[in-house]
Amino acid sequence: MSKKEENLNKNWKKDFPIEKQQATNVSRRDFAKFLTLVSGGLMVGSGLVTAKAYMYPKEEMAGEHFVCKKEEVPVGGTRAFVIEGSTIPYILIHLETGEFKAYEQKCTHLSCSVFYKPGTGIIHCPCHEGSFDAKTGNVLAGPPPRALPKLDVFFKENAVYVRAVQEEKIG
Amino acid sequence: MSNFRRSQNQSNPNKLNAILSTVIFILILNVTIQIWLLYAALNNALDNNKEILIPAFVASFVLFLVGICCIYYMPTGNTNSVK
Repeated sequence: MSKKEENLNKNWKKDFPIEKQQATNVSRRDFAKFLTLVSGGLMVGSGLVTAKAYMYPKEEMAGEHFVCKKEEVPVGGTRAFVIEGSTIPYILIHLETGEFKAYEQKCTHLSCSVFYKPGTGIIHCPCHEGSFDAKTGNVLAGPPPRALPKLDVFFKENAVYVRAVQEEKIG
Repeated sequence: MSNFRRSQNQSNPNKLNAILSTVIFILILNVTIQIWLLYAALNNALDNNKEILIPAFVASFVLFLVGICCIYYMPTGNTNSVK
């Protein structure tokens, strides 16, 4: 045995004075503590979500906003618009049934731009193949977790206006 | 003076092993449920449904407390083992 090996054999126990069983105990204990820390983090995250929702609620769009004239959007056509004082993009859709619908243009999955597929009644998100019902905004297929936020569309003679959705009163 | 910690530490390593594994199992279960709660709360917050937020936070808090209590039962190692 060379001197180096001898030296190693003599000293390694001094360098690593922890028994194997103890070593495994330590790491599992640390793992359990880490899990508790993660648990605390998730609890704090949940608290932050709640606090934000109650203290800084999403502001509803106020008032009525002119979008365009009816004849400017052909059947099956869409028109993108932005409300003054806001940066959220919306689309106005003239459905084949003759109805007008307005939705936020951001997919609820990862905020890609959605577009209306003429003739199908489907609003499509090209990023991850998400599909929304153009009549209600509900999710039909794909990863989006929520329906598209929508606006109420109404008319004043020939002009198309939008406003925030009026809350439906139940009961 | 004998106490919970001392008597726990004197028990068979197999028992300590089982206790520690159980504690870790419960903690992983807690964290999984908390992730689900956070996901649900976030989705509902973005959808303007506030009813679920406070119950989700309370549930998350309770699970965290359960985790903290589990830590108390975590063995500190068998001091009886042969060195």
